[in-house]
Amino acid sequence: MSQSDAAIQEIEKKIKNELDSLSADIIDIENINDLEALRSKYLGRKSYLAMTQKSIGTFSAELKPIVGKSTNIARKEIEKVLGSREKELKVLEYDSKMRKDRLDLTLPGRKTESGSKNILSRAVEEIEEIFIGMGFEIAEGPEIETDYYNFEALNTPQDHPARSLHDTMFISDKVLLRTQTSPVQIRYMEKNRPPIAIIVPGRVYRKDYDVSHTPMFTQIEGLVIDKGINFGNLKWTLETLVREIFGSDRKVRFRPHYFPFTEPSAEVDVSCNICSGKGCRVCSGTGWLEILGSGMVDPKLYGFVDYDPEEVSGFAFGMGVERICMLKYGIDDLRLFFENDLRFIKQF
Amino acid sequence: MKVTLNWIKEFLNIDKLDAAEVAEMLTMSGTEVEKVEYISSKFNKIIIGQIKSFIKHPNADKLSLCRVDSGNRELKIVCGANNFKEGDKVALALEGAKIGTFEIKRSKIRGEYSEGMMCSEAELGLSSESEGIMILDSEYPIGADFASTVGLGDVVFDLEITPNRPDCLSIIGIAREISAMTDYKLTIPESSIDDEINSNNDLSIKIEDTGLCTRYSAMIFEDIPVKDSPAWLKNRLVLCGIRPIDLIVDLTNYVMLETGQPLHAFDRDLLSSNEIIVRKAISGEEIRTIDDSVRKLEEDALIIADEKKAVALAGIMGGKDTEINSNTKNVLLESANFNGPSIMNTSQKIGLRSEASNRFEKKLDPELTVFALKRFNQLLKKITGHAYKNCIYDNYKKTDRQRDLVLRTEKVEDVLGQPIEISRISDILNSLGIDSKINKNNLEAKVPSFRFEDLEREIDLIEEVARIYGYNNIISRPTQLSGNRGKYSKGQLNIKRIRNTLADIGLNEVINYSFIGLKEYKDAMLDREDDYNKYIEIVNPINEDFKIMRTSLLPSLLQTVKNNINRNIRDIEIFEISKVFINRGRLLPDEPQKLGILLSGRAEQKSWTGEERVFDFFDLKGIVENIIGSLYVRPELKIAEKEYSFFHPGISGDLMINNIKTGILGRVHPLIIESMEIDQDTYYGEIDLDIFNGNISGLKTYEKISAFPAIEIDLAIVVDENIKNDDIAIEIEKSGPEILRSIRLFDIYRGEQVEQGKKSMAYSLSFREDNRTLKDNEVEIAVNRIVESLEKKLDARLRA
Repeated sequence: MSQSDAAIQEIEKKIKNELDSLSADIIDIENINDLEALRSKYLGRKSYLAMTQKSIGTFSAELKPIVGKSTNIARKEIEKVLGSREKELKVLEYDSKMRKDRLDLTLPGRKTESGSKNILSRAVEEIEEIFIGMGFEIAEGPEIETDYYNFEALNTPQDHPARSLHDTMFISDKVLLRTQTSPVQIRYMEKNRPPIAIIVPGRVYRKDYDVSHTPMFTQIEGLVIDKGINFGNLKWTLETLVREIFGSDRKVRFRPHYFPFTEPSAEVDVSCNICSGKGCRVCSGTGWLEILGSGMVDPKLYGFVDYDPEEVSGFAFGMGVERICMLKYGIDDLRLFFENDLRFIKQF
Repeated sequence: MKVTLNWIKEFLNIDKLDAAEVAEMLTMSGTEVEKVEYISSKFNKIIIGQIKSFIKHPNADKLSLCRVDSGNRELKIVCGANNFKEGDKVALALEGAKIGTFEIKRSKIRGEYSEGMMCSEAELGLSSESEGIMILDSEYPIGADFASTVGLGDVVFDLEITPNRPDCLSIIGIAREISAMTDYKLTIPESSIDDEINSNNDLSIKIEDTGLCTRYSAMIFEDIPVKDSPAWLKNRLVLCGIRPIDLIVDLTNYVMLETGQPLHAFDRDLLSSNEIIVRKAISGEEIRTIDDSVRKLEEDALIIADEKKAVALAGIMGGKDTEINSNTKNVLLESANFNGPSIMNTSQKIGLRSEASNRFEKKLDPELTVFALKRFNQLLKKITGHAYKNCIYDNYKKTDRQRDLVLRTEKVEDVLGQPIEISRISDILNSLGIDSKINKNNLEAKVPSFRFEDLEREIDLIEEVARIYGYNNIISRPTQLSGNRGKYSKGQLNIKRIRNTLADIGLNEVINYSFIGLKEYKDAMLDREDDYNKYIEIVNPINEDFKIMRTSLLPSLLQTVKNNINRNIRDIEIFEISKVFINRGRLLPDEPQKLGILLSGRAEQKSWTGEERVFDFFDLKGIVENIIGSLYVRPELKIAEKEYSFFHPGISGDLMINNIKTGILGRVHPLIIESMEIDQDTYYGEIDLDIFNGNISGLKTYEKISAFPAIEIDLAIVVDENIKNDDIAIEIEKSGPEILRSIRLFDIYRGEQVEQGKKSMAYSLSFREDNRTLKDNEVEIAVNRIVESLEKKLDARLRA
C-alpha cells in the first residue's frame, strides 16, 4: 500500500465516522436551534469536513481530485440528512403553533341559496325531455282560442255541454279560453304534413272551481301521425312515458273509454304505488291510478286539415300535469299549485 | 250510475262469476267500475226476529221490554219504539252487529238487560228518516239472514257510463256488455200485452213538433191501489240511489233503471182532458214541479200539457198538480222519446237535472218506449197479482234507423297493429247485438236501433272489436317515426335556460291564474298605462276576482307577495313566466310571453358572517344581467330612464337590449305598496321573452389573451349629483385611446370631503397593448386626455 493510498483510506474512514456520528446525533434533535448547532458541528468552519476541504491544497496533485470528490459527496449527504430533519421539525413546530388557532367548524356554511323552478315547470320539462328523446317536437299555440279550433275542428257537437257557458269561459260568442291544448294540434296540422310527432304543453281553462278543480290547469297533449301508425304504437309510446315518469317497476293498463276526437279511445292507468295494486284510499280501492287519456285520431278529424285517412293514421293523448305531480310527489291538495305559498314552492 | 249484481243476474246467468270478476270485465271493456260495494257485509249479524211478547220497562215510561225469537232462542230486547205488536217480524241486530259506526253489545238499559236491537229503516240506512222500527213481511222465516231475505244480499257497482253509450244507462245494457265479454247469453223476459197497440179514443196524443218529440207512448191503468212497494223493490231502488215513494212511482223508476227508458205517471183524473199535448211553452207560462217550486218557462222549453195547462216539464220533471197521490185511482203512464239537446238546454237553463233528463240528453232509442211500458205492466201484474185491462197509445213519427256498415278485416289490422280472425270479429259484433255476416275478407254489419247514434262508421265498429277483444291483448310496438328528430325550438331553449338560471341564483318560480279582478288591476295602476290597459274581459267569469285577462304579471305577483306576508313569509324573491293578453282589436288578442321578477324584503338576512341587507334596484338589475348572460350571447344591455305610473318615478326605466326595448324595471310605487299593505320596498321587472325566439346579436368572438401585463390606474372624479355613471363611462370610453381595455366603477363617495350636491366616483381603468409592454408615459398621456375631456364635457374635477 502506497503512502497516498493510506492517506485516502484514512480520510474516508474519518468521513464515514462523521456520517455515522451524524446519524446517531440527529435522532436526539428536537428543535431547529439544536439542528443549527449540529449543522455547524458537521459543516461549520471547524468541522472535519470543512477543515479537510480547506486543506485540500496540501495534498498531492494525484490525491486532490479524490479527496475533493469524497468530501463533496459527504457534504451533500450531510446536507440531505440535516435538510430532511429540518423539514420534519418545521412541520411539527407549525402544527403545534396552529393547533392553538382552531376554527369552529360547526358554524353554518356561507352559501348562495338557490331557488326553485315551479314543480309544474319541472314536471313539464321532464316530460318534454322524454318525448324529445323519442323524436318529438314541442308545439305551442294561443291560450285564447276560437270556438272553431277548440271545439268545431275537434269533432265536438254543437250541443255538447263543454260548449256551454256553464263549462267554458268565453270572451265573445266565438272566442274563448281554450279548454284543452288540442286546438294547437289542429293549428299544427294545418301548417305541417305528416310525419308529425309533437307534444303540446300548456295552460288550459275550465269553469270549475272547488276542492278538486282549479279554473286553470296544465295539460300536455301529444299527437303522432304517419303512415302505418297503429294502436300498438300508442301503447308502446305511453308505456314508455309512464315508466319513465313513475319508474320501470310500475304496471300500465289501457282501458276503453270515449273521447270525441279519438277512436278507439283508451284511458291509461298506472298501478298504485301506495298499496302496490292491492287497493287503497288513494286509488279508490281499484289498485290503479288514472293518468292519461288517449286514442287513435278519429278519421273525421283529418277532414279538417285535408289529410287522407286511408293514407295516414295516428294517435293522440293528453294528461294533466298537476295530477301527475300529485301522484308522483304525494301532494294531496290541488289548490297548493296556485296558492304560491313559498313554503310549498321551495320544497321542490 | 249504480247497478246491482243480482239485478243483472235476472238477465244473464252469471252465477259462476264473482263480483270482482264482473267489475274487472266491465272496467276493461269501457264501463269503468268506480266502486264495488258489498251490501250484505253491512248487515252482518242482523237476522229476522219475531216479537213474542212485550211489557213496559219498569224504570222508563217510553221503553218496552220485549222477548224476541231469534230462531234458536228468545232474546230480551229493550226498545224505544211503539209501532209494533206481538207476532211482528223485525230486523234484529245481534251482539256484534254494526249499525253505522255503533256496535251492538249486550248491555243494561235503565237496569234491564238488552241483548240486541230491533232496527228502524233509518238505522239500517234504507231511508233517511223513519218512524218506529221496521216491520217486515210476516212470511219471512225467523232466524234467517236479514240482508239476503229482503233482497240486500247484493253487490252494487258504481259505474261511469261514457256519454256515447246511453244504451248502457240501464241494467239490460250492462248485462249485454257482460254477455259480450263472456259466453253467457242475454235473456230478456217476454212481456206481452193483451191488447197491443190501440188507437181508440180514450186518449189522443198530439205532438206539435215531432223534431222535439219523436214518439210519445202511453198506457192507462184503472183502479190501481196506491200503496207501498214490496221490500225487494224498495231495496233495489235504495241500492241504486233512488228514494222509494209509492208503488207506482217506484215502478216507473225501477223500469227506467232496468230498461233505460224514463217513465212518468200522471194521476189521470187530475188531467183536464183526454188529450195529451206535447208542445213548446208559451211565453210567461208557469209550472209547479213535483219538488214544489214554481218555474217560469222559457218559450223554447218543451212541455207536456193537457187542454188547460202545462202538466210536466218534458223529460225533466213532472208537475205537482197531476202527480200520483194517496187518492190516485187511475194512472196515465208516459213513455216518450224527447229530443236530447232540447232537454239538456232546458234543464241547464232552469238548473234542474234528473235521472230522466240525464238519459234523454244522451239521445235514447225510440224503440224503447213501448218495451218499457210492457215491462211496467208485467211487473205491476207480478206485484199486485192482478191483470189490468189496458192498451198502448202510441204516437210515433218513425224515422229510418237502419244502418248497414262494411268492416274490412285489413282495416282492423291497420288500426290495431295486428290481425284478428274474421270469425272472432264476427262473434264480437254479434254478441253486442250487431248482426254481422262474413263476406270474403269483409263483414257486413247491421247496426241495431239502440246503437244507432254511436255506430256510424267502420271505425266505430273497429272500436267495438278492440274493446271486447281487450286492449291488453293488443301488442305494444315501438314507433318508428320517419324523418323526425326531437328538438326544442330556439325560443323554448332560451326560456328553459332563463328559468334554470333564475332558480340557480335564488329565485322561486310561482304560477298564478291568468285572470285577475278589476280591483287588482286598478290597484296596480295598470289602467293608466298604454297597452297595460288594453285588457279583455271574460263574459261569464267564475267570480269577480277572475274577470279580466291580465296584461301584466305585476298584479298577480303583488298578490303573491301579500299572501306570503300574511303567512309571515317576508323575504320574497320570485318570478313567473307566463303569457299576458293584450287586446289589439283583432279577433284574438296578442299573447306575448313575459317574465316577471319581483323582489321584496331582505336580500340577505343578518347572520354570523354579516349584516342584513334589503333588496334594492341593483339586485334586480343584477338578476337581469345574469339571465341575459345565460343565453350564450353578450348583447348590449342598458337601462333607459322612463316613468311608469306603477313605479317610483325616480326608480323606473326601460330595459334596452341592443337598443330595443325588451322590458321594464323599477321600484313598485310606494302608494301601491301602501294600499296593498305590503309595507316593504318592492322591486319589479317585466321582460318580454318573445325577443328570445329570434337571433339576438351579440355573439362575442374570441379575444386574444395578451402576454403583456396591463397597467391599472385608479381615477376619482367629482361630478354633479345628476351626472350618471353611464355618462361618465361613455365619456371615458370615447376619450380613451385604444389601449384602454376596461373601466370599472369601484366607489361612490358623498360626504365631508366633497361639496354638497356633488359626488365622487372612482374608476379603475385598465390599459394594455397586445404585442408589447406599455410605457408609463403612454398611460399618463391617455389618463390626462380622459381627465381633460371629463372636465370639459361633464364639468368634473379630479379628486385630490
